[in-house]
Amino acid sequence: MRLTKLDYGALLTYTPRGHSVKIQDAKEFMIALKNERFVEDPQNGKLVLMSEWIAKTIQRNITTLPFASFFQPNTILVPAPKSSLMRPDTLWVSERIASALTKMGFGNKVISCLTRNKSVPKAASSEARDRPKAIDHYKSMTVTRILSKPEEIVLIDDIITRGATLLGAANRLADAFPETRIRAFAAMRTISNPDEFNRLYDPCVGTIELRESGDTLRRP
Amino acid sequence: MGMPEGIKISSYTLDDLLGPLNEVEEKYAPPKIFVSGDMPIPLPSPRCAVIGSRKASPEGLKASSEIVKTLVKRGVIIVSGLAEGIDTSAHETAIEEGGDTIAVLGTSLDRVYPQKNECLQEIIMRNYLAISQFPTGHPTQPKNFVIRNRLMALISDASIIVEAGDTSGSLHQGWEALRLGRPLFIWKSILENSSLTWPKKMLQYGAMVLSDPEEVMDVLPSRGRILKVAP
Repeated sequence: MRLTKLDYGALLTYTPRGHSVKIQDAKEFMIALKNERFVEDPQNGKLVLMSEWIAKTIQRNITTLPFASFFQPNTILVPAPKSSLMRPDTLWVSERIASALTKMGFGNKVISCLTRNKSVPKAASSEARDRPKAIDHYKSMTVTRILSKPEEIVLIDDIITRGATLLGAANRLADAFPETRIRAFAAMRTISNPDEFNRLYDPCVGTIELRESGDTLRRP
Repeated sequence: MGMPEGIKISSYTLDDLLGPLNEVEEKYAPPKIFVSGDMPIPLPSPRCAVIGSRKASPEGLKASSEIVKTLVKRGVIIVSGLAEGIDTSAHETAIEEGGDTIAVLGTSLDRVYPQKNECLQEIIMRNYLAISQFPTGHPTQPKNFVIRNRLMALISDASIIVEAGDTSGSLHQGWEALRLGRPLFIWKSILENSSLTWPKKMLQYGAMVLSDPEEVMDVLPSRGRILKVAP
């Protein structure tokens, strides 16, 4: 794999462990995100799809978000594939988020050029030792559509755990577009230690690094 | 069956029952839903389907019962299709354990299939909830049960297949749950039957193996569909 380090940004956080009200609220939000449910926008009381809420929240807070520079007018948004194979008409949350972002003026367009040709275990429901590594993701994905030399690509995902999916996907794209700057955005990042969980809305930028063991290290 | 005395049928849209639907959910959503029973509308959460073979094995029935007992204890509403075998066991266990249950019928609400579940259907229509997308008098046809399985996937926050052969109707629900992006669980003992082809395929498309019914709680919402957010 060409890339051993990938810059990423994330808007929200949740932790799978812990039972405080704050933690349960964030978990509830994660489930709603995974199901593309409707949420009530507190600014106007209207119901919006979760993907639209993510895009609107970014728009409202763009001046303070540390990953604002990821979304340039020429940026191509590429949804990260699901861990499983996918039949036509299946809910693909990453693609929904990417589409909502471009509708709100973030990035140039969405190109769904990465597909999964072999399923891998879901990171969120696997024991740490069974989670697929970046190389497993890289080997299980294909670039299906050749773009005309994009200047910048931002990979879009719903939830980032250790970042193996995004690093594997970024490397697959880097093979196809070696001159292109590639970064990643996830709507939500997982925090494994509940003591380190502060709040749902906790925007950040950070890195995903490939370690010698083949595991990925996400900071923060 | 005809309509037992004192039972009332009301009609709703799926939006009334579940709240607004996204585009993927709307694809096979019927325009009207007929319901009978005693449950608040919009439907309370969480709801989990427990489904499987009509000709269930004793082990399958035992597993269904254990899964339902665990979920009922955690306040989960049990959804099933009122068919023989696993479905019947799921409804009956939910009722015995003091839980709530929703029957999604492949017939209209004034008909019953199988006939032996007439009494159970009436109990559900009076005290729990029976749902059908077919208006009163609608002819019962085999294809209705396939259509019903899609509706059951849509109504359920997650689905568990407890036991099923390669031609089981439960597989229609499984595929629809995966299309909707809803969690689909395959009970662990199904994987022990190496002659089945469907489990391996569904696992590739995102289904998960269920070894402990408690694991379902990790993916179920605890509230209604509308979440208010104020980060």
